[in-house]
Amino acid sequence: MKTTLQTQLKIADPDGFYEKLLDAHRGLTDEQCAQLDARLILLLANQIGDDRVLAECIEAAARPFAQARP
Amino acid sequence: MPDDHTFPPAIRAATAVTGGAYELPVYPFVEPAELRGERLRHPVVIVGAGLTGLTAACDCALRGIPAVVIDEDDTVGVRGAASRGICYAQKSLEIYKRLGILDRMLAKGIQWSVGRTFAGNDEVYAFDLKKVQSHSVSEQPPFINLQQFYVEWFLVERIYELGLVELRWKNRLIDIAPDDERVVLTVQTPAGSYTLEASWVVDCSGAHSAIRDKLGVRASGAKIPDRWCISDVRFEHEPPAERWTWIEAPFNENRAVWQHLMADRVWRLDYQMPADADPEAISRPEVVAARLRRQFGPDVKYELVWVGPYAYRSLCLDAFRVGRVLFAGDAAHVMSPFGARGGNSGIQDADNLVWKLALVLEGKAPERLLDSYAVERRQAALDNIRITDRTTRFLSPPTRVEKRFRDAVISLAREFPFARGFVNTGRLSSPTRYEDSPIAVGEHAGVHVQNVALALPNGARGDLVDLLQRCDHAVLGFFHGDLDALTARELDALEQRYPVRFFCVRSEEGRTSTFPSVIDDEGKLTAQLHGAPGAVALVRPDLYLAGTLEEPSAADIERALRKLLAIE
Repeated sequence: MKTTLQTQLKIADPDGFYEKLLDAHRGLTDEQCAQLDARLILLLANQIGDDRVLAECIEAAARPFAQARP
Repeated sequence: MPDDHTFPPAIRAATAVTGGAYELPVYPFVEPAELRGERLRHPVVIVGAGLTGLTAACDCALRGIPAVVIDEDDTVGVRGAASRGICYAQKSLEIYKRLGILDRMLAKGIQWSVGRTFAGNDEVYAFDLKKVQSHSVSEQPPFINLQQFYVEWFLVERIYELGLVELRWKNRLIDIAPDDERVVLTVQTPAGSYTLEASWVVDCSGAHSAIRDKLGVRASGAKIPDRWCISDVRFEHEPPAERWTWIEAPFNENRAVWQHLMADRVWRLDYQMPADADPEAISRPEVVAARLRRQFGPDVKYELVWVGPYAYRSLCLDAFRVGRVLFAGDAAHVMSPFGARGGNSGIQDADNLVWKLALVLEGKAPERLLDSYAVERRQAALDNIRITDRTTRFLSPPTRVEKRFRDAVISLAREFPFARGFVNTGRLSSPTRYEDSPIAVGEHAGVHVQNVALALPNGARGDLVDLLQRCDHAVLGFFHGDLDALTARELDALEQRYPVRFFCVRSEEGRTSTFPSVIDDEGKLTAQLHGAPGAVALVRPDLYLAGTLEEPSAADIERALRKLLAIE
């Protein structure tokens, strides 16, 4: 199957985005960070909206942990 | 209690049992003919007079099959911890229209439209189904709430009214011995044991089916550590007639609570319990009372109708047909109650099976047509299990990370409509598309056809179910466009050789035609059948599309019919 995953950078200001992402977590506990990330993932997922792209993102993100599963 | 209907005097309930606050009918034990020395071969024996068994029995009666139903009890509904469904979805309502009990269900049942979802002390979101755009074109409402025993009660009365099917109460199955020719059942009754012989057996005996075990049918499933406790109550001061769902109820230690209205102003309150809860302890009246006071305040006045603690699991048989034995309802598949998929799928099992049985018994289709029942309904069961498992996972998150994602969903849902789509408190039963049907014959095969309004061949207003009722268990062939005389003769010839009835679909009253026509003035049927000019759609007696053929020849239609009927 032809991949639809965007692998080239699409964000105009990557450093700016990355900074905002880190700043959002600043001062939070690990648990609060995890909660923030969960909210963020769901919000971003809805912006993408495409089931196939989302499935490919999940698969790509989980790839390093494939060996860790029982 | 069904007060709007005359009970045939011969089977009028002699006494009443008390099932909570309900007075349920008691049906008489009648000594079976076999105990008087008669030896009979019954075409169909249905084991179990629950929702699935009675639906199958009623359909048998309508299709001219003199089936025998055996049940160890002598009433409807429950004694002890049997199934207590409360919600009947659209497809079931369409089926019950055909079986002739829909009007009674609608008169007795409740249709709510406002639903509210809560977490913690406040509302996450609310909806009003009357304001939500519906994609349904069915003549039936999306669902009704009604106690399961009422549906069973209406079915029993309808079966007695139809008169063909024999209901044998207090008949308990002891043993079953199938061979290639027949199935021999050993049945115990208050008047002694006897041998019952059947050509076909439909096992509708529920989640603890002994037949399943006896025949060694393999099954796969999972235990689920979720525990619930139902309290059905009548209030002196009723809550608003809305469906309220708490994902996390502060008055239930932040576990889920369901609050639904059913018939007779009885409310179904269903409380999620700790996984290690003791069923006996959580259903004691004083414990139930304390729960109700926590939810409704210290002065709540109510009458307790029924209390039932339950757990659930998922289970699906590897095969729904083993020779002459067919498995249906909970005997074939078990799932969590979310979305009312257990009862509604049992009803659809029966609807899928009985027209096929009728054609096989009449010699119009070979026995292997029944394999399509097994394939289609097993696929539906696996779909339903997958869908209910997702709800379980939302309502009972097994890990911290899953709980965290649920928290994120709830917090987002308060602000943003999109996140409400992730809130999964159950997905109401809807007809499964049969992806792997062995009797698919064309485009769009395996899709449910909703019961749409039509003008019938006699000119009267009606719907697709009315049309079905006039056609026994024939396949409906819908011809779209203008029919020439030659084609009409060819279709007539097919009707002589196969159980099929053809209708010309017109968009408006027009030229009179000698060929039977339906007027689809709103285009709802044509849209569902993808009926381009010249196309012929074959619709099964369970209102599933077997396939649409584009400009077929008579030979193409015949080939499709032969595949649909499993003739080749």
